[in-house]
Amino acid sequence: MTNGTPDLLQGLTQADVDQTLALGTAISLKGGDELFRLGDKADCLYVVSRGRVNLTLPMHVRGNEQDVLVEERVPGQTVGWSALTPPYRFTLRATAPLATEVIALSRTALRDHFLLHPEVGCAVSLNLAAVIGQRLQLFQAMWLREMERMVELRCA
Amino acid sequence: MEMLLMGICMSIFGFGIACAAFGSAVKPRALAEPKPEPLKAPAPARFFTSEITGTTVLLPRVPIEALLLQIENHVRLEQAAAESFLALPSSAQLHSRTVSPFVN
Repeated sequence: MTNGTPDLLQGLTQADVDQTLALGTAISLKGGDELFRLGDKADCLYVVSRGRVNLTLPMHVRGNEQDVLVEERVPGQTVGWSALTPPYRFTLRATAPLATEVIALSRTALRDHFLLHPEVGCAVSLNLAAVIGQRLQLFQAMWLREMERMVELRCA
Repeated sequence: MEMLLMGICMSIFGFGIACAAFGSAVKPRALAEPKPEPLKAPAPARFFTSEITGTTVLLPRVPIEALLLQIENHVRLEQAAAESFLALPSSAQLHSRTVSPFVN
């Protein structure tokens, strides 16, 4: 979050930010609560307003499937952009490791709002592209580092 | 007459030699049968997992909870390293080492 504005709503006027956030519903989570599961239908996008959200993927560790942390989201950051990209299914599991609050913004509500306020839709789309692009670049770098180690191990 | 007897004897002698030679030629030899090579133990399958096993069991056997914490820590360190690379892209940043026990 920059200047108290969520990443997704950067560049909007305070009035537009308030109006967009008013479309959402606040959800309170206790430590250990699950926000969504891998493979669930993604109808809502979440903006973290308090606490933390852990994003995990199932990994086989010693023959058992374990949820392994792949990303953490803190206040101001967006979780669940699968809600805006086909096939609208979550590709991670999201849990709250501690008391957390998120604002759930439904895809349909956002679409309707963007149709009425194209400038807001344009800004949010660009911010969303930035979120997705940053994540892609991050994982690209992480993947290359792991790939490099694998090659070192195998060709040593 | 003597010449005839001598010829007959020589013929019989020659026939005997021919028979002996033919017999030795068609007689099954007591060959030293080639001993079948002892079967080698099948080569260990070289699947990805078996190769990795030898190199990845570097960490001491720790409880699963501790291992998961180590994995989390590794992910955080790798993410931080990747973020440093994105902030200032360079080959050195991309290949920078972390203190994670998984890579040391």
